[in-house]
Amino acid sequence: MLQVREVVKTYDGRPVVNRVSFDVEAGEIFALLGPNGAGKTTLIRMITDILKPDSGTIQLDGHAVTDAKRPEIAYLPEERGLYRKSKVLEVLSYYGRLKGMRGPDANRNATRLLERVGLAEWAQKPVMALSKGMQQKVQLCTALIGDPRLLILDEPFSGLDPINVQLLEDVLRERRAAGTTILLSTHQMNKVEEQCDRALMINRGHMVLYGKVGEMRTRYSDHAVRVRGAAIPDAVPGVLSSVPHGADVVMKLEPSATPAAVLRALLDRGAQVESYSVETLPLEDLFVKVVHEGLGLDRGQSGPPTMDEILVGVGR
Amino acid sequence: MTFRWQRALTVAKREYLTTVRRKAFVLTLVGTPLFYAVIMVVMIKPQIDESLKAMREFRAMGVVDSSGLFTHAPEEIALEINAESISLRSGTPEPSLPKGSFITRIRRFSDPKDALTALEQGELKQVLVIPPDYLEHGRVRRYASTENVFNDGGQERPVNRWLTRGLLAGRGLDSLVAERAARPARAMEVFTKNRDGAWAQRDDASEIFEFLVPFIAGLLLSISILIGGQYLLQGVSEEKESRILESMLCTLTPEDLVMGKLIGLGGAGLTLVGSWILVLAGFSGTAAIAAKVSIPPIVLGLMVAYFLLGYLFYASLMTGIGAITNNMREAQQFSFMFTFMNFVPFYMMTTLVGHPESPLAVGLSMFPPTAPVSMLLRVASPSSHVPAWQILLSLTLLAATAYLALRAAAKIFRIGLLLYGKTPTLPEIVRWLRTA
Repeated sequence: MLQVREVVKTYDGRPVVNRVSFDVEAGEIFALLGPNGAGKTTLIRMITDILKPDSGTIQLDGHAVTDAKRPEIAYLPEERGLYRKSKVLEVLSYYGRLKGMRGPDANRNATRLLERVGLAEWAQKPVMALSKGMQQKVQLCTALIGDPRLLILDEPFSGLDPINVQLLEDVLRERRAAGTTILLSTHQMNKVEEQCDRALMINRGHMVLYGKVGEMRTRYSDHAVRVRGAAIPDAVPGVLSSVPHGADVVMKLEPSATPAAVLRALLDRGAQVESYSVETLPLEDLFVKVVHEGLGLDRGQSGPPTMDEILVGVGR
Repeated sequence: MTFRWQRALTVAKREYLTTVRRKAFVLTLVGTPLFYAVIMVVMIKPQIDESLKAMREFRAMGVVDSSGLFTHAPEEIALEINAESISLRSGTPEPSLPKGSFITRIRRFSDPKDALTALEQGELKQVLVIPPDYLEHGRVRRYASTENVFNDGGQERPVNRWLTRGLLAGRGLDSLVAERAARPARAMEVFTKNRDGAWAQRDDASEIFEFLVPFIAGLLLSISILIGGQYLLQGVSEEKESRILESMLCTLTPEDLVMGKLIGLGGAGLTLVGSWILVLAGFSGTAAIAAKVSIPPIVLGLMVAYFLLGYLFYASLMTGIGAITNNMREAQQFSFMFTFMNFVPFYMMTTLVGHPESPLAVGLSMFPPTAPVSMLLRVASPSSHVPAWQILLSLTLLAATAYLALRAAAKIFRIGLLLYGKTPTLPEIVRWLRTA
C-alpha cells in the first residue's frame, strides 16, 4: 500500500533521514521504531506530505500522495492539540468537513466516534472541560473521522490509563479488521509485540532493522530456552548454562544444539516439564541493544549494518 | 497538494464564527461606539450647553461710550443659535425672529463704575467701555462676568458688528450699505477648477464629503489591518501554542489554512469596523445626501481594489509573524513595525493632500506597504490629477507584493508552525522561503 524508496531529508547539511526504504502492506499494523531524534517524525511528515523529501519517492498504491489520495491518510501527531474553547462535537465535525464530508455526515460520523470511545455525553462540552485522557480520545477521533485507509499514529498510547490503552487497542483491532492499514510509531515495545506484524527500526536517520517482529526477536535472541517444571537436572547435553528466573529456568544452548534435542534430553533424564519455550529477545531489549551497541548486533561489533542484518524476513 | 477554495472556506467559516461568537468581540462591537458616544456626549454637550447658556444669559450689555461715536448705535443685539450669521437689529425685536434667537439689550452708562457695579450685581452680563481716543487706537475694553476659564462670555463677533453699525449709524448712509459694511460678504461663492479643468462653484460641504469618503476608506483599511491583524496574530499564535496544526496539515495545505484564516479572521475584523461604519453612515448619510456628494465610480473602484490588496498584503505579513513567533506577546512586538508603517501616510497627510504630485507623495503611493492609504489620499485630494499610469503601476506593485507575501506566509506557516519554542533567525526564514 505505502512504498517509501530511498528517502533522504537533510537539515543544515545533516541528514535526518538517510536513504530509508520500506513498504507497508495493506491491512497490516506496521511499527516505526527508533530512539528520540532518530528521524521518525520527519519520516512521517514526509509520508503525510507536510515536508518534502530532498530525494527519494513516497507512494500510496503506486501514486504520489496528492489531493486525490490525501483523504485516505489520517495522522495523529505526537505534538497534538485541540481547539480548547470549542465544543467537542464541533471540533470533530470540523475535521470531518475538512476531509470533504458534508456537514450532517460529519456530525453523524463524529457522534458515532464519540459513542465508540465513550464520550457521547461530552459532545456539547468545551474541549477544555475534558480530562487529558479524554482529550486524547477526542484527538484519536479526529484521526479516525472520515474512515481513512492509512492511519498514522505517533505515540498514541502516551498519557492513557490502562483502561483507555485497552480501548485504543480494541479500536485499532476493529479498524484493522475493517481493512485500515495502520502505521504505528511508539516507544511502548510491548504494544508493538502485541499489535504489529512488521516493524522498521531507524537510528540517526538510518534503517537498522526492518522485517517481521517475531523473526527479529528470534534472530537476535541468545539461543536459549525457558523451562518450567520439577526435577530439572543441572547438567543437560547441549546446554551451556542454566539460570533460574523465578519459577522458570532459562537455559543457554550450545550453538550446535537445537531446542528439540534439549527437550528430548530433559525428558530422558526424568524431568517433569510443565512448559517449554524458545526464548526470544524482548523487543525492548533489542531496541536498547540497537541503540547502545550500534548496528552490527550479531557480529559483536558496532558499525554500519549490512543489508542482511537490516532485513529480517524480508525478501531483497 | 494544491490549494482548494472549499477547504479554505471551511476554515474561514470556522474562524469567522468562532471569533464573532466570542464575548470579547461582542463587547468590542457594541462597547467601542458606545464608549465614543459617551465621550462625545460628555465632552461636547457641556460645550454646547455652555454656549447656549451664555447666549441665553446675555440679556443685557452695558456700554460706556466716552468717544461719543455710538450715539445712534442699535439698542439691541439679536443672536441666532444655529447660524454663523448673527443679525443685529435696532428698535424692538421683530415677532418673526427665528426660534432659538436671543435679544441682548444695550444699557448705556456714563460712568464705568456704575456699569461695573451693575455687572457685579448681575444686571448685566458684559460691559463694553469705549475710550475717548477709540477712533485713533481702536481699543475697547470688554468686561464679562463668567466663571469658566475657557469661556470669556463669547459674543465677540456680534459685539464687533454692533460697533460697526454704531459707527455708521446716523451718518446718512443707506441702511443696506450700513448692513453690508457690517457684514461685507454674507455669502461668497468661490469658483475653482475642478478635476476636469473646468471652473466650478466650490461646494465646501460636498468637497469635504468627497474627500472624507476615500479618507475614511483609508482609515477603515488601517483600522481593519490593525484589528484583523490582531485577530490573525492571536489565531495563529493560539494554533501554534495549542499545537493543532500538524494533524490538520495532513488534511489541508498551508495555503488553504492561511487563506481560510485571512478570510475568516479578516472578515471578523471587517464585520467589526463595517458595523461601526454603518452606524456612522446612518448618522451622516442625510448630511451626505444634502451635500450632493457624488463619488466617481473610478474612485469607488480604487477604494475596493486598494482595500482588498492592502488587506491581503498586511494580513499575510501578520500570518507569517504569528507563525514564527512563540506567543502573542512576541508576535505583537514583531508586528508593531508593520502596523506603524500602515499609518505612515496619515503622518504625511499634509504632503499627500496638499501636494499630491510631489515626489514624496508619488513614492509613498508606489511603495506597497504605504500605497493603499497614500494613493487613496492622493486621489481624494481636491487638487489632485493622479495620472492613470501611476495608479496602474501602484496597483500592479501592490498586487504582486501581496501575492508574494501570501506565498511566503504559507511557506513560513508550513515550517514555522512545526517549530516549537524557537524563534527562527532571518537566514533561517530565508532558507525556508527557498526550500519549503
